[in-house]
Amino acid sequence: MNEPAVEARNLTKVYKALGKRPVHSLRGLNLSIARGQVFGFLGRNGAGKTTTIKLLCGLIRPTAGEALLFGKNSAIPEARREMGYLPEQPYFYEYLTPRETVTFYSRLRGISPRQQKEQWEKLCGLLELEDIADRRIREFSKGMRQRVGFAIALVGDPELLILDEPMSGLDPVGRRLIRNAILRLKSEGKTIFFSSHVLSDVEELCDRIAILVSGSLELEGAMDNLPGRRVLQVEVIASGLDPETVAGLAAGTSHRRVEVGDEFRVNTLEEANRIAARVLDRGGTLVALRPVTETLEEYFSRVQQLAATRTGGKSE
Amino acid sequence: MKRIQVVALNTLREAIRDKALYVLAGFALVTILGSKAIGWISVGQDIKIVKDICLAAMSVFGALTAIFVGTNLLYKEIDKKTLYTILAQPMERYEFVIGKYLGLAALLLLDILFMTAVTVAWILVLKGEISPVFFQAVLLIYVKLLLITALSVLLSAAASPILGAVIVFCAYVFGHATEVFRDLPPQIAGTPAEPVLKTIYYIVPNLSLLDLHAYAANNVPVNPLYVFWAAVYGAGWAIAMLALACVAFENKEL
Ligand SMILES: Nc1ncnc2c1ncn2[C@@H]1O[C@H](COP(=O)(O)OP(=O)(O)OP(=O)(O)O)[C@@H](O)[C@H]1O
Ligand SMILES: [Mg+2]
Repeated sequence: MNEPAVEARNLTKVYKALGKRPVHSLRGLNLSIARGQVFGFLGRNGAGKTTTIKLLCGLIRPTAGEALLFGKNSAIPEARREMGYLPEQPYFYEYLTPRETVTFYSRLRGISPRQQKEQWEKLCGLLELEDIADRRIREFSKGMRQRVGFAIALVGDPELLILDEPMSGLDPVGRRLIRNAILRLKSEGKTIFFSSHVLSDVEELCDRIAILVSGSLELEGAMDNLPGRRVLQVEVIASGLDPETVAGLAAGTSHRRVEVGDEFRVNTLEEANRIAARVLDRGGTLVALRPVTETLEEYFSRVQQLAATRTGGKSE
Repeated sequence: MKRIQVVALNTLREAIRDKALYVLAGFALVTILGSKAIGWISVGQDIKIVKDICLAAMSVFGALTAIFVGTNLLYKEIDKKTLYTILAQPMERYEFVIGKYLGLAALLLLDILFMTAVTVAWILVLKGEISPVFFQAVLLIYVKLLLITALSVLLSAAASPILGAVIVFCAYVFGHATEVFRDLPPQIAGTPAEPVLKTIYYIVPNLSLLDLHAYAANNVPVNPLYVFWAAVYGAGWAIAMLALACVAFENKEL
């Protein structure tokens, strides 16, 4: 029971086609995702995210290495019992309605009619399917399809969800819906592995991330402790200060009023500590002292640049 | 087993919701009812001609359905990516292939039953008589369709629908004329072409063995044992080709 939810061991994929140059889409990926984590999988277009996900779902065979789900090779059907998958562009039978589609997938998983009913209620609540439940998927917009795709991934209440760009092509409301669904699943203890280009969502949702550059794992780490992520400033928030002290502290820092009191931003930890000491000295209350890191977007671009300079500017 | 059934039923449902097939069925209906017009011209032979044309219609329209639906069957799922979410389920790929095949086989069965019912009713209206050999002929037509479907599904896993349809169509035509490859004209004997053509004789299923139209039209009884072995022959081919389709599909990259 202690195997990781997802494990890639030296996972490698080379696409070979007759008369074409082989494409090295994934090079020796090693990755392990513990149960209960929300894991973000990042990389530029063509980095190999979808390739990795297809390998994890048993849709393509690795050229070398193996993909394991809860310790079992993903090519074995039994290994996929606790896994739900949302493809990059989800396609279903156009002649079915969402209700029929969910029923079809439920039957494939051998779910009893009684459980199906319960499940449908839950999915409707989570993904707001009610108003589109009985229309043919043929007529659906991208956002509606994405919701149906998500519902299918959740059929059978799997422990692990593998989602390929779950937020792509959605309007802000739709994105929120999916984001909230992910948070809800996280609170239920599910493991969620998803690829995304929307870094603000990744920052909000993920416990850990990995960045793929040209098929190789560039780095992997906890969201709040990413290797080499720059601390730009330190933020001190205090309340209960008299105007005179505020004026004194504001000199030489960047200061603004916030709801709970005053915020001071400085460049070093020493300075921040000095301010904190002074706040306490003057009878104020220290609300927070925290580092302000570069955004995930800035970090991501820097990682890409570093990788590019290391390989001499070649993208391949 | 359950999953095969789920896939099969869904395939059948897809076909039933596909309007194109109604057009084919409509053509078959027109042909069956129109057969009277031709029978009427050939005085005194009308029932015989009607039977002949009706059986030919079942065979040809059934084969067209099998070829057009069959060669698209897996290809469409790969092309439209509907397979991604299905094969990621805890199911074996062969379950999917067999399910699709059985769905189409069920569709063809409905098709044949419908056409048989119409034909029988029509012949009775025309005051003709129906003997058991008519139903034996229908049975073997269905076996033939099962075989063609299996070949179509195999090609659907391995080739594009157009290429697949062309190959199955050729097999259908050659299959009805395999003796041509056995009884080669004397000019060919001894040339390099001989072994090639002889090989074709052995690798193309002999569909004319499944063809009892002439007997049925003329009310000539056929030994039931023959019907049995002919059905076994056809089913054997179908199973072999379906097995190949499963193997081809197992290692397919999506
Ligand atoms: N079936 C295939 N045959 C040949 N090459 C392929 C195939 N599928 C993907 N590739 C190649 O593999 C590389 C990785 O593709 P992949 O789809 O995994 O990227 P991705 O990270 O998902 O990109 P995106 O962000 O655009 O979705 C690309 O160079 C792509 O061209
Ligand atoms: Mg992708």
